[in-house]
Amino acid sequence: MRVVVADDVLLTRQGIVRLLRDAGIEVVAEAEDAQGLLHQVRLARPDVALVDIRMPPTHTDEGLVAAQTIRAQHPQVGVLVLSQYVEPSYAMRLLQDQPERVGYLLKERVFDIATVVDALRRIVDGETVIDPTIVSRLVGRRRRQDPLAVLSEREREVLGLIAEGLSNRAIAARLYVTERTVEAHVTQIFQKLRLPESPDQHRRVLAVLAFLRA
Amino acid sequence: MTPTLLQRVNLARLAAGPVALAVALGALAVAQGPGRFTTYAGRSALAATLTITAGLALVLAGLVTSLNRPAGQIGDLAVLAGLIWFAPVWVGWDKGPPLVRSLGMLTAGFAFPLLLHLVLAYPSGRLHGAVTRALVFMVYLEAVLAAVGLALFRKPFFDPNCWANCSDNDFLVRSLPQLARAIEVADRWFTAAAAAALVALCAWRLLRDSGPARRTLLPVALPTFLLAGAIIGHTAALQRTPLEDPAQPAFQTMFVVACVAVMLLAAGLVWVTVRMRVQRRAVARITASLGQAPPPGSLQAALAQAVGDPELRISYWLPNSEHYVDAEGRPVAESTAAPGRAVTTLIRDGRRIAVVSHTAALPDLEHAIGAAVRLALENERLQAEALAQLDQLRASRVRIVETGDAERRRLERDLHDGAQQRLLALSYDLRLARAQAQADDDRQTGSLLSEATGQAQAALRELRELAHGIYPAVLAEAGLGPALATLADMAPLPVEILAEAEGRYPTTVETCAYRLVTEALDDAAGRDASHGTVSVARDGGRLVVTVQDDGSDRTGAMVQLADWVGALEGRLTVEPTRLQAELPCG
Repeated sequence: MRVVVADDVLLTRQGIVRLLRDAGIEVVAEAEDAQGLLHQVRLARPDVALVDIRMPPTHTDEGLVAAQTIRAQHPQVGVLVLSQYVEPSYAMRLLQDQPERVGYLLKERVFDIATVVDALRRIVDGETVIDPTIVSRLVGRRRRQDPLAVLSEREREVLGLIAEGLSNRAIAARLYVTERTVEAHVTQIFQKLRLPESPDQHRRVLAVLAFLRA
Repeated sequence: MTPTLLQRVNLARLAAGPVALAVALGALAVAQGPGRFTTYAGRSALAATLTITAGLALVLAGLVTSLNRPAGQIGDLAVLAGLIWFAPVWVGWDKGPPLVRSLGMLTAGFAFPLLLHLVLAYPSGRLHGAVTRALVFMVYLEAVLAAVGLALFRKPFFDPNCWANCSDNDFLVRSLPQLARAIEVADRWFTAAAAAALVALCAWRLLRDSGPARRTLLPVALPTFLLAGAIIGHTAALQRTPLEDPAQPAFQTMFVVACVAVMLLAAGLVWVTVRMRVQRRAVARITASLGQAPPPGSLQAALAQAVGDPELRISYWLPNSEHYVDAEGRPVAESTAAPGRAVTTLIRDGRRIAVVSHTAALPDLEHAIGAAVRLALENERLQAEALAQLDQLRASRVRIVETGDAERRRLERDLHDGAQQRLLALSYDLRLARAQAQADDDRQTGSLLSEATGQAQAALRELRELAHGIYPAVLAEAGLGPALATLADMAPLPVEILAEAEGRYPTTVETCAYRLVTEALDDAAGRDASHGTVSVARDGGRLVVTVQDDGSDRTGAMVQLADWVGALEGRLTVEPTRLQAELPCG
């Protein structure tokens, strides 16, 4: 797998690159700002770009903007955004236009290299990745009348995994059940929550996130 | 001007009346008798009436003007011109005393320079502009040269074109008929040219000046055009017929036109003087019309109305900050005089209180504004000063809030860029060390390092929450809507966002609204509320933020919130379970 890494802090960038190489991932280029990143992506045509959300000049959402540009200009290149912010709206912004091959992970996960490598693989496979912290905050959000009360414990678990961007097959593997069982759960969940069931596994992530936020 | 001189001038003005009357009656007697064939006035009763009326009208108008406006020379010029107006009649006193006729010839040429000076110095009494001053100077100079030249070298007896006086010149030194003739012709053409220049200058001023200044100038400028026309016409007629003959229609017409022009000029002077007097009375009375507590700016409006100048501006002087403000306390540029506009500085008890920029058609504003108006001006100045200070205070409150917000943002960034990066590096090193320990099969160190990694992760989480609490990056980057949505995700109680205003607002407004909702929800949680609702709506130029909860009644006054909202000139309504802020948002 060929990856481009963009982070303006040299120390962090070097750490990430080293961990990725140790895990057997080919880092083909590094960039320290959004402009350099777009240049490297054009040049190296990586499978995934690993992008810090805060980059010069304003240190707010340059990485997010760059990610959207990459997705629009190079649909075959996936983007994994690393962020300091537990901000569902940022994650949803990333999903809005091209809901596949994108990921939003909290920055501190980067040193749990197994998680990062797993996320990169899922993105290359065409899945979506949303950080579990964001999902659990949305699921655990205090509500006056909890619409999730109609779901069983298992269904709630499945809902969370859908929101994290897992495919039915991945959910089945995670829960040690058959894919067919997962499909049945998904149908049940969407019916109970009165969500229009989408055959598109990418779009359903956004639908579930939006539902959890409403 | 010293008081004694002033008194002398006023005595002279008082004497001018009887003198003028005597001169006029004498002239009438001359015209009816010995000068019947040597003066225009002697040709008919109408001509006599016109001559006497025009001259006396000019003297009268001059007296009225100078008595009303002691500062201006306008009136004096008119009186002198009026007296000299009779000189040609005295010149025509056939068989009269030679000295009288000679003096008449010497002075007659000064009527036009005096009138030209009057018109150009009108209404302030001062000559403005180098061209104007040069013209007046040259006309006087030429009149002196011509009068002296003719007095010294013209023997009327040898003048083939003489008609009014063909015998007497007491000042003759040597008879030089050709030189005298040349002087006469040159003088005539020069005067015609000066009359044309006078018309041009008047027309230019009429075009340049606006409303009130033009209204003041017109009654004087229009007769001037007529007079200049008569002078030019007279010169042209003499060019055709060198011998002046009052019996000829061309000369008669020019004479009648000149008389009518002078009468109209006199009437114009009186009319404007009377109108200014009325305006001055109105200025003195304006305080009565203002009432007990006039709103800022009413003095300016009242003064503008009293003098009929809608462009009149009062600026107040603030001695402490050393600049001018309007009645509302807003800083304004210092007024400067411009064409047609004058600036009057008003002093009270030796201190400058205000500067009035007004039409130049009312040159004597300083005297017109009496003690009562000055007191009202001082009051309004104090009010303006208070308003200016209030403005500064407001601006400084906003600055304090803005500085606070900027500091929080900076702190949030520093946490992300500093402490967080170090913690990330630390957890990276810890993981490397743990991997090394595992490779060395050192279980004790490995488990210690695992625990340390967990601690570092926990510190990162806490740091993230802290940074978000100090200033949520999403607020600056994405605006109020997304920031409030995240706030609802994390709130200590169920929160429903009923309405959110689309779009972006000024940073101070967004930050204030966000903090208001945060504080209100924390407060609601502290009062055991089971849920809260938030609504943000735009209402015209205001952003209305409402937070409602179902907790017990609030006891605190939310002072800090009131300060924030107040700094942005908004309004905070605090009710037992409801908070509402209206923030101006442009």
